[in-house]
Amino acid sequence: MKEILLEEGEVSDGELIGRARLRDEAALDALIKRHYDFVYRVAYRWSGNRVDAEDIAQEVCVRLGRAIRGFKGNGALKSWLYTLTLNAARDLARRNRRETAKAEAYAVHEGIFGEPHAADDLAEALWAAVRQLPDKQREAVLLVYGEGLSHSAAAETMACAEATVSWHIHEAKKRLRLAMRSLEEA
Amino acid sequence: MIMAKDEFDILRSAAVPAPRAEARARAIQAALVALRSGETSAAPQGTRRGLRLTTRAIRLWSGIMPKNLIAAPALAGLVALPIAGYATFHLLNERPFAVLPDQGAGMPDSPQLAGRKEQDALARNAATVSPKQEIAPALSKMRVTSDGRRESQIRPGEVDNSKLMADQAADALPDAMTQPEANRDRVADFKSNRVRSTLEEPVSTFSIDADTASYSFVRRSLKEGVLPQADTVRVEEMINYFPYGWKGPAEASAPFNSTVSVMPTPWNDHTKLMHIAIKGYDLKPEERPKANLVFLIDVSGSMIEELTLLRSTFRLLVGKLGPDDTISIVTYAGEAGTVLEPTRASERAKILQAIDALQPGGSTAGEAGIQEAYRLAEKSFVKGGVNRVMLATDGDFNLGQTDDDDLKRIIEEKRKSGVFLSVFGFGRGNLNDRMMQTIAQSGNGTAVYIDTLAAAEKVLVEEASSTLFPIAKDVKIQVEFNPEKVSEYRHIGYETRGHNREDFNNDRIDAGEIGSGHAVTAIYEITPKSSTATVIHDLRYGQAKTNNAAGVANTDEYAFVKIRYKLPDGDVSKLITTPVTSANDLSSFAVAGDDQRFSVAVAAFGQKLRDADQTAGMSYYRIAEIADAARGADPFGYRAEFLSLVWRASALESGHLENGHVDCAGGKGTGLVAVTSDDLYDLDRDGDGIACK
Repeated sequence: MKEILLEEGEVSDGELIGRARLRDEAALDALIKRHYDFVYRVAYRWSGNRVDAEDIAQEVCVRLGRAIRGFKGNGALKSWLYTLTLNAARDLARRNRRETAKAEAYAVHEGIFGEPHAADDLAEALWAAVRQLPDKQREAVLLVYGEGLSHSAAAETMACAEATVSWHIHEAKKRLRLAMRSLEEA
Repeated sequence: MIMAKDEFDILRSAAVPAPRAEARARAIQAALVALRSGETSAAPQGTRRGLRLTTRAIRLWSGIMPKNLIAAPALAGLVALPIAGYATFHLLNERPFAVLPDQGAGMPDSPQLAGRKEQDALARNAATVSPKQEIAPALSKMRVTSDGRRESQIRPGEVDNSKLMADQAADALPDAMTQPEANRDRVADFKSNRVRSTLEEPVSTFSIDADTASYSFVRRSLKEGVLPQADTVRVEEMINYFPYGWKGPAEASAPFNSTVSVMPTPWNDHTKLMHIAIKGYDLKPEERPKANLVFLIDVSGSMIEELTLLRSTFRLLVGKLGPDDTISIVTYAGEAGTVLEPTRASERAKILQAIDALQPGGSTAGEAGIQEAYRLAEKSFVKGGVNRVMLATDGDFNLGQTDDDDLKRIIEEKRKSGVFLSVFGFGRGNLNDRMMQTIAQSGNGTAVYIDTLAAAEKVLVEEASSTLFPIAKDVKIQVEFNPEKVSEYRHIGYETRGHNREDFNNDRIDAGEIGSGHAVTAIYEITPKSSTATVIHDLRYGQAKTNNAAGVANTDEYAFVKIRYKLPDGDVSKLITTPVTSANDLSSFAVAGDDQRFSVAVAAFGQKLRDADQTAGMSYYRIAEIADAARGADPFGYRAEFLSLVWRASALESGHLENGHVDCAGGKGTGLVAVTSDDLYDLDRDGDGIACK
């Protein structure tokens, strides 16, 4: 009963954004609480580990707080969050790539060619392979397969043509099939 | 949605481990910091520097120490040492996101600022002001937790980071948090000005008020999470806190210029605002008179906390003086004593030494101190110059003549001899606001409340010339409304500055002074004749007629504004008059200038805090909207700070900040409940086990 009341009282994203743009901290707070898990999930799918995902999510929150005053698109919050998250993820990855490339590569090797996998682990291993894809393919797969977006929605988020997304997906699938095959062989 | 149907669909089903609650909380805090630290400018690098060392360490080790090392102990033994070294190096150097340009979805982002400047500011702060500001450098190491948010209020690229830093540092002092019930601030109470009928009382008279103490009071209160007591909210002082770019006079012979505009009222469709903006002549440095300043410093026990801030404040002030100005210092506590005989400002080292040597102790003998200060001021009196006692106190005069009226008498008497008095209020919870007001008003001075080094800088550096150099004294304003055009009027603020109608032309009646370059604003809410907003009915049995009955001249004027003032060394007043006609009309609120609209937003906010009937229908949201649209350049961030105060007040009033609780922010919670079982509806979003009903 109480819960229903609160749901009715729930303020729309649009209104929260409007208030946050005028520096209403409570509104930004509510907005982030509402979407943090979403951002974190995307970040996790990208990075494959909780700590990086938390770092990325925090960076997204900071960028959101900094940029919300200039945010105009009312309905497109999700799409904007995707973009912010993927940008932050890429920035972090670029920063870390040098240091962690080897460890990561080994982990992936271990993941794919190591012990046999249960069904869950199969998805997990597949993600590890996705993370080895070039950035654009990795993003496209994350958005289309991970998040269930249409190619056109993914294109909007990635700021490219729909056909480009389809091509990234196509390329990605070729590589992933290869990885899957070695998984099954193992 | 075209969902691909193939073997990769399992990607969607892969589990995502939950984020940790503390990571979530930290991210939210970081976002709030970013929101506060402002605008389109990027947070300084320093904001996030070294933020996540712990997490970095975990991440690094989790990346480096997967199964392979555990599975191969021999190998581990070989690489463990180099890795430890590498990890240390990595931790020292690694700053996630620190050097990467922001690519945030096309959002504008100012250039990254080198951490250098910030470091410098920190160092400067630490060097000049010790115990209180020692927190400042410590802050830079803080995480973005609930405390860390203060750290990032530093605005990059702004004129001076150190002041905001100091501001925050001072705020961070936990012991300074005074509980509202334990608050010993003495404040005189007053009622808001009522709506008056033009027919019965066509004339409104008041003294100019350039004080700003009330705004600092309100800010302090809101920052501590308490709505300010209505009696501490003096609307005109809040309005006048902000610098406005009103048009000033071109030469010193006319000490000020007034700009009057009539515009629709944002909180009432049927009334108008008559906005009177006065700007004092800005003295050029070479025109500044010589100053003879006597610092009268309260070093009683209750000032211990404040002495550091006070020292820094007076250092700032000394830096603003010309070489020929003289300074003396008198302290009082137990017994009054002269610390520094009149000394020329060029002997800077000697003055600073005296300021640094101040020691707290004893209780306060204010009266003896004041007498001694006046004696020194008269001793080095500068004819035609500025002779001023600058009293720094937390306001407890608990020995000697403690009655406010007695003090007032001494000060008024000395004022006649040409020595004025300004009051700088320091401290929290012990401040005698009424006493400050009384003595500053009778001493031709201003009362300024200094709660942070930032406030000190505002008063003594940015506004030094207006604080120190008066261009006119006993400035009174009289407005006569035309009953043919205006049926009712209400003066917003200035309750404590009202005068009798006949006092206007009486030169013996003391009034406020205007400093060089000072801006003073007064706003009336007027009800045009035949407006539906009229609240007072016409009298049935005849009316109190005014001499300006229908049919006489000037019927298209709203009002007639008269300003009476004396030059700083003059005894006879001069008069400036301005009719307010339809030429002053603005067609809509939106066409008013930024400064005008902002000052109206402040007026609305002040009235709301005083719970005025007139603004009851106006939301904080609307106030924030007006203020935000009217922010203009805002080089010192005063207006941005105002916005954050509006939201704080809004949250406090609706109870959203109750017990520091954030779950109810977006909802309409009316009370708190404990969440004991699974939180299916995500009521308890901050995970503290308490949610809104």
